[in-house]
Amino acid sequence: MADSLLKRYTYDVMANDFMAAGKSSSAIKSNLKSLGIDSDILRRIAIISYEAELNIVIHSFGGKLHCDIYENKIVIISEDAGPGIEDVDLAMKEGYSTASDSVRELGFGAGMGLPNIKKYSDHLEINSSSTGTKIVATINL
Amino acid sequence: MNFSIMLDEGKCRGCTNCMKRCPTQAIRLINGKAFINTAKCIHCGECIRICPYNAYTPESIEWYNQMHDSPKKFKIAIPTTSLYGQFPRGTDICKVQNAILKVGFDYVYDASWAADLVARAIKLKIEKEKTIRPYISTYCPAAVRLIKYRYPSLMDNLILIREPMEIAGILARERVRKNYNLKDDDIKVFYISPCPAKLLAVTNPIGDYTPSVDWVIPLNKIYGNLYREVIKEDNNICSYPSLKGVRWSVAGGQSEHAELKNYLAVHGMENIIQIMEEIENGKLSNIDFVEASACVNGCVGGTFNVVNPFIATSNIYYISNSLKDECINPDIDRFDEMHATGFFNYKLKEEERPGKLNLKEAVERQEKIKEILDMLPGLDCGSCGAPTCLAHAEDVYNKESEFYDCVVLRAKK
Repeated sequence: MADSLLKRYTYDVMANDFMAAGKSSSAIKSNLKSLGIDSDILRRIAIISYEAELNIVIHSFGGKLHCDIYENKIVIISEDAGPGIEDVDLAMKEGYSTASDSVRELGFGAGMGLPNIKKYSDHLEINSSSTGTKIVATINL
Repeated sequence: MNFSIMLDEGKCRGCTNCMKRCPTQAIRLINGKAFINTAKCIHCGECIRICPYNAYTPESIEWYNQMHDSPKKFKIAIPTTSLYGQFPRGTDICKVQNAILKVGFDYVYDASWAADLVARAIKLKIEKEKTIRPYISTYCPAAVRLIKYRYPSLMDNLILIREPMEIAGILARERVRKNYNLKDDDIKVFYISPCPAKLLAVTNPIGDYTPSVDWVIPLNKIYGNLYREVIKEDNNICSYPSLKGVRWSVAGGQSEHAELKNYLAVHGMENIIQIMEEIENGKLSNIDFVEASACVNGCVGGTFNVVNPFIATSNIYYISNSLKDECINPDIDRFDEMHATGFFNYKLKEEERPGKLNLKEAVERQEKIKEILDMLPGLDCGSCGAPTCLAHAEDVYNKESEFYDCVVLRAKK
């Protein structure tokens, strides 16, 4: 069955932990590398999962990053515990950022997170409310 | 011979240092002795550097034979730019090329002269082509092979401009053919190398061209003879390297020479790995050019050098900052003409594409390896002969080693 889930990798992502930021997406990347995923696909997933992870670190109260493997697609899912994206359309604009100055001083929060996720995925769903944001990015194989 | 790292089994004690240091996990201990998987080895030389028992001999006798068994051949030498950092401060470095002739070569073409040309070609390509960022230098063969092996998605970022050794080889051959009326078969080109990786660039290039260099001589094997010639008083023929070109031996030198403003120079294997991860994550696309050198400080850190990399760096800076530029580059006037014909560009060699991936099987394989890994102690001690518990689990799965090679589990059994 092409559409049955073969494997799910799940990682906890802590809010505001910039030391650990990038570790979950790195782990996803090395798992996919050991599976033998094509390098072009891998690079897109690397960017998507890194940006999604950073979004949880910078903007949320913490959450989870999943990477689901299907025979015909890979899905990156990020789920956080809020506070939600106020204006999703605005957040999709390149350069628009709500990151604080202290975050920007660390070199993050350039307003390219969601636009990059959209650019590199074949399909993107965003559901956001004050209790949490769920992002589902699909990459077809 | 296409492998430059040899192990003296009598000296190897199976201490695991090299195995743990290897960035591609190419080393295993078999019957208590280190064994390098040549298919995985990127010739970075980390094993040579780390070995406490000097068990690795970074050469074969063959370069010597190549040089002395071909008396009828016309022998061209291309010295690495790092050679100029290996002499005491105050040495007349204009005597170095003459010293190379004295030790048995017929012609010298300095790699720094070729670097003058290559730097321009890099500058032009970066100015003209803006779609790929960052471009990654292909100067360090070990860094390039690390990318090929661990970061294949970044192969598209390689700048694919021939490096100075290659250009020097072509131009030197051309000159010798013309000036001495010789055929290509009568000529042998030797590169005096700071590291084992350059041999790999000659025997197994990443590009789809036939390398212009025939053989690589470890710098340290020829240094003594050169030094004795360089310090002789009667030596009065002077020829200078390019003072900007010699900076290629130090990290950052390529970019400075190419007059780039927005570059990143990273050196040392572990540092390169961190930067490549960043590039793979889509970061650093605001940088034009990344220079990655496997060795600390750049080529001056190569394992065949004689002088400490920091002292050599200081020597190179001293040379390029304080000497009067008296270099006469034989080919610089031909740059535009060469560049117009695409002389500096090359394509990657076609590699066999892996067959269609069966993800279901790949996931099952990964899970079985995980099952084995969960039973191992997780100490990454290396006593089983693999660098990490994960590597051991993979080897067990691939039936390349036994589960109970793990000494911790064997002790508990």
